[in-house]
Amino acid sequence: MTMFGWLGRSATRGILTTRYPDAPPSPAEAPVSAHAPEPPPGVAIAASAVNACPVRAIAPDGVDQCRCIRCARCLAQGFEFSGPVALATAARADRPDGPSATRGAGAPLARLGRSLHVFLVDVGSCNACNLEVLSIAHPQYDASRLGIFFTNSPRHADVLLVVGVPTEAMVEPLRRAYEAIPAPKAVVATGACAIRGGVFEGNAGLRSGVDEIVPVDLYVPGCPPPPVAVLDALLRLIGRERTEAPT
Amino acid sequence: MSAPYLGVLLTAAVVGLFASAPGAVLARRIGYGIALASSLLLLAVAIATLATGPVHGIAWTGPLGDPESLQLDGLSAFFALAASLVWTATSAYSIFYDDRRSPGLAICYGLTLGAIALLVSASSFLLFLIGWEIMTLASYGMILQATGRGDRVFSAAFVFLAFGEASTLLVLIAVAAFHVLSGGFLEGPVSGAGALTSLVFVAALLGFGLKMGVAPFHLSEWLPIAHSSAPSNASAVLSSTLTLAGAYGLFRVVSDLGSPPAWWGGLMLAIGAISVLLGALFASVSEHTKGLPAYSTIENNGLILVALGVALLAEANGLTELAVFALFAAFFQAIAHAVAKTALFLSAGYVEHATGTFDLSAVAGGAKRSDPGETAGTLAAALSLAAAPPLAGFVSEWMILESLFQSYRFSSPEAQFLGLLAGAAVALAAGLIVVAMVKFVGFALLWKPSPGATAPRAAGLGTTVGVVGGILVGLGVGAPWILTGIAPGVSAFAHAAVAVPVGGLLAVPDGWSIVSGSPFGILSPPVVPIAIGIASVVAWGYFRLGGGRRTRTVEPWMAGSPPGRPGETYTSFGYSTGIRIMLRSILRTREVRASVGPVTEAGLATPVPYNVDLEVLDVFKLFYDDLVAATAAVSDAFKVAIMPGRLGRYLAYILLVTLAVVVYVAVAA
Amino acid sequence: MTRSGWEVETGDDPPVEDGKRALAYRADDGALALYNDYERFRSIVRTPKAPGAGGVRPAPVPGAHALAEAAEVAGYGTFTFPYGPISAGVPEAGKFEVRTYGERVLGLVPVGGFKSRSVPASVVGLPVADAGLRVERIAGNLSASHVSAFLAAVESAEGRPVPTAELYVRALAQELQRLYNHVRQIARVAEAAAQNVGLAQMHALGEEILRLQGSVFGHRWMFGALLPGGPTRRVEPADRDRIEHALGRIEAEFGALWSLLLESRTFVDRLQSTAPLSKESAISSGAVGPTLRASGVGWDDRLRAPTPPYTDLFVSLPNETAGDALARILVRGAEIQASLVILEQLFDRWPAEESITEAPESPLGPGRGIARVEAPNGDLVYDVTVADGRIRRLQFRSPSTANWPAFALSMQDAVFTDFHFAFESFGLVFAETDG
Ligand code: SF4
Ligand code: SF4
Repeated sequence: MTMFGWLGRSATRGILTTRYPDAPPSPAEAPVSAHAPEPPPGVAIAASAVNACPVRAIAPDGVDQCRCIRCARCLAQGFEFSGPVALATAARADRPDGPSATRGAGAPLARLGRSLHVFLVDVGSCNACNLEVLSIAHPQYDASRLGIFFTNSPRHADVLLVVGVPTEAMVEPLRRAYEAIPAPKAVVATGACAIRGGVFEGNAGLRSGVDEIVPVDLYVPGCPPPPVAVLDALLRLIGRERTEAPT
Repeated sequence: MSAPYLGVLLTAAVVGLFASAPGAVLARRIGYGIALASSLLLLAVAIATLATGPVHGIAWTGPLGDPESLQLDGLSAFFALAASLVWTATSAYSIFYDDRRSPGLAICYGLTLGAIALLVSASSFLLFLIGWEIMTLASYGMILQATGRGDRVFSAAFVFLAFGEASTLLVLIAVAAFHVLSGGFLEGPVSGAGALTSLVFVAALLGFGLKMGVAPFHLSEWLPIAHSSAPSNASAVLSSTLTLAGAYGLFRVVSDLGSPPAWWGGLMLAIGAISVLLGALFASVSEHTKGLPAYSTIENNGLILVALGVALLAEANGLTELAVFALFAAFFQAIAHAVAKTALFLSAGYVEHATGTFDLSAVAGGAKRSDPGETAGTLAAALSLAAAPPLAGFVSEWMILESLFQSYRFSSPEAQFLGLLAGAAVALAAGLIVVAMVKFVGFALLWKPSPGATAPRAAGLGTTVGVVGGILVGLGVGAPWILTGIAPGVSAFAHAAVAVPVGGLLAVPDGWSIVSGSPFGILSPPVVPIAIGIASVVAWGYFRLGGGRRTRTVEPWMAGSPPGRPGETYTSFGYSTGIRIMLRSILRTREVRASVGPVTEAGLATPVPYNVDLEVLDVFKLFYDDLVAATAAVSDAFKVAIMPGRLGRYLAYILLVTLAVVVYVAVAA
Repeated sequence: MTRSGWEVETGDDPPVEDGKRALAYRADDGALALYNDYERFRSIVRTPKAPGAGGVRPAPVPGAHALAEAAEVAGYGTFTFPYGPISAGVPEAGKFEVRTYGERVLGLVPVGGFKSRSVPASVVGLPVADAGLRVERIAGNLSASHVSAFLAAVESAEGRPVPTAELYVRALAQELQRLYNHVRQIARVAEAAAQNVGLAQMHALGEEILRLQGSVFGHRWMFGALLPGGPTRRVEPADRDRIEHALGRIEAEFGALWSLLLESRTFVDRLQSTAPLSKESAISSGAVGPTLRASGVGWDDRLRAPTPPYTDLFVSLPNETAGDALARILVRGAEIQASLVILEQLFDRWPAEESITEAPESPLGPGRGIARVEAPNGDLVYDVTVADGRIRRLQFRSPSTANWPAFALSMQDAVFTDFHFAFESFGLVFAETDG
């Protein structure tokens, strides 16, 4: 009577699913590494902090969310993990006029309404990003309640969600996947790698970001971004993201 | 009674078909041209006969003192119509197709056509048998014209001849027994269900079934065509009209026997259902561009038997309405199959011309498309054979299934159960045949030209196929009117006037629908394409005018890999391997591996290159192989025992045989 | 202070290009003799064989290379079915070339290189901690094992003693990650078998482990946590209590799910005798980890070649002999339970010293070190040469690299639909193969 066994398990577990985006994510759902560390308010960024960052995410005028790999090295410089979940952004801070700059405004897939089909493409990740993205379908996040589904074919997809830093061998496959998705479509570059190479930036045989190959609508910072950040990005595409002042 | 000049025209058509053989001696194309003209003439006469009534040609006195003539009644006119329709296409096609040096093929072709025309229009069984024998021998000649390895050609032709002669023997038995019954040749119906009547029936069923290629004699159908790779025009004639001749003989005899006992229909139904299943199954795994259509012929002739079987069972159960409906189904199935199969074989010939091969997996893989006529015709034929609306095959398949669905009306549970089983077999086969037809269309229409082969030079090849496809659409869409047209044939069969099962329902005008039962089911072939057409126009208009959407062409998605690289495309073999593995107990699937090349590295598990073949086997072939071996062994023993070269034994043997005959004659008298 | 790896006779630092050289360890653990026997087979880096004779083989994709050999098959109707690099069932960039006549797998060649980020080359010249950031991102779901092996190799190369407590933290991280990976692997197999409730609950359990890691190490994937110069994470007594408490829940939850899953006939039937790997093939193909243990070879680095703290612990060795997908999954399930026992022992014996990872004032002497740990999917070997606190050369042999040939072998003569069960039962990771 396995059937009843499973039912019993499900009943005793209760509801695991987050209330996000109707409520802010709980601390467990928004780990400290969800947002790049920042200096305490009012404290200027010292040169030593700039040098401490292994990926040059720290500049005298601020921390580049997209570049930071959450290594926590700057905590020794007085930085703190304090912010909320780093949210998806439509433009790369380092390249405001880059190839994707003009595409970012608004919710590109708003007219698709309540349902979104996501095609996940790995172009050279460490796997952590893949697993974080996939976990939005797991009980704690349950993306299907928001009308978000993974699909196994680009033909059925609305969103191309790319993780990892593009290797030479994946350039063509990525382009093919993009071509295969019917319009209207959007591309989400997820994770520091996909945005501009992350910790691998500059390694032999790598492109410096997904937007070199296909136009990107949203960048999701983090290494890896937590599942709620991925959810936020997808909701943004259809204009249903959580706004800080709920009506 | 129709105009007397039709009799003259009929005689002219038959003579003309025969005359195409000597015509071919002058030049191949003259021969085929004469055949084409005569076929058209026969077609016209057949249509006129159906419209106006039986036609009688000039009569003469046969060697046995009976009057003989060429004549057409409703039944024979129907078969003449189907056959001449096919020949018109094959003759036109042959003009472009046959590029042999010798006229042998064209001569045998003409003789075969003439023989079939003769046997269909024969007024006596003697004349019928003469036509039958010429047909067998001339077809044997056509198969000998095949390409390929000499020994295979010869053995395939020999198998054909052996089955053909076995068929003749059985037909002779049937004719002789019938003669005893009726004292005449074509006089029927003979009533009464005595042992002799049943002998006629069984002998005719087996004898004509042999020619139709139904199980367990289906070897006679696929083997000569596939093994020897017989020429395509020959294959079309063999598969479409030779089997039609068999069907005609069977229809004729069954028609003249009258009041059938239930087991006749049951037997026929069982043989038909087995053939349907076997034919569809082997067609779906066939890799030969002609073997596949040949197996499909087995399936289709099985369907004819199924329909006729239901008709006989229904009649035995007193269900006249169902019997008539099933008869119409059988008739329509016969013509639908003959035409569709012609297109498929002609298409195979086109592909052969283009690629130089008969192996589907070798044919496919290119991106070269056949010309529009060829594409459309092949598509129509395959769809028709796969029973897709609104084509002819769909209508006949629907009618046959409708008949089977009504088997619950039979009085005996055995008959009901048999009807159920046959229905399941037909439905399963319908699924399998879709696999086969998708395979044929999908792989044979996208061929890769082989360097050695000659491209189809004449547009005529493809155009002919396209025209045949058009006829199929016409037959399907116009089915209610076609049924009305062939009703005299069914009446002639039933020796009574029959009601055509057409009607109307709701908004569909009277006469636009086919109605089974009263009413059990209803189908309107013309409404289907009209509905599809309206829907298409609406959709087209919506997207064109309303949305202004553009068409975007993208390459196929292959998991990110570049599509269609050589060696990375699905083969037609792979397409049906699932069936090979799933039904391995029936197909006797066997994998044969042979390692090639040396073992490169000792010790570690270094893979050794190997060659693999996944074979399937027609179990009946095993049976016949055993039969041949046993026969050889027996005659060997006979030879040693009786004919060791000693005069004494010879004389004793002759004496014994003579005595036996004398005793038999004395007792019989 | 404890040794965490083995020193290697450096000599003149021979160029390593194929890894065929037997690794010489200077350790007097008797078990190494046994290991070295297997080593002959295992350390073979399979140089990809150019596809050639026999049938039409597709042209190779630039940048990609075969990870295992398969027999060249020719025959009527055979063709190569390309699956990947973006394939639905495999959530990673990697490709499989399936040689087939339809339906049945006559030969399967895994193709890697699509995720090659050139980590070993890119860390040359970097300080150890910076190199560590890249090493842990070779495969995020195996970061603790990679970093532990990397650090142990560096430490033995430098001759640096390590605080025992730090080794305990590494062991803690590794065992937690083993839990996560095994749970996820079981969920993936349940997914292939359409055990939807089971897979959802297993995934929920996986997420709980990730959250636990996040709360203890400050990062859900423990990135940076084990590296020198990284965040100074101690696992305080309060933390340990919290973990123990959480583990108790996980144990109960997993136990219930596991027995329910094994009661499901459809699940068990589908896995049984799928993708079998005999003991002989497992050894000769160089399989490691749960794959090897499921085929009846009881090798586990934690038991046969242990480094502290495993030298002090009781490690049970789940073993199966059937070698099929079910056996591999049973081994994983049993290992989850074994890991929970190990974690319990870790907490019982937790050393009093501080587990601090301060960057040393001055780097110790140059040298080369080799270290190996039992990663969730098998034996992981790192070979690092260090000088002046910077990496001079790094190479590693990941368990996935070792297991691809075994996977290819097990798929021989399988049917297409076996693929996902087989693949998930092996726990193969393209990311660590490509590096
Ligand atoms: S990458 Fe590391 S050091 Fe740089 S900002 Fe992010 S956490 Fe701080
Ligand atoms: S962004 Fe970070 S977590 Fe994501 S793939 Fe790159 S290295 Fe891995």
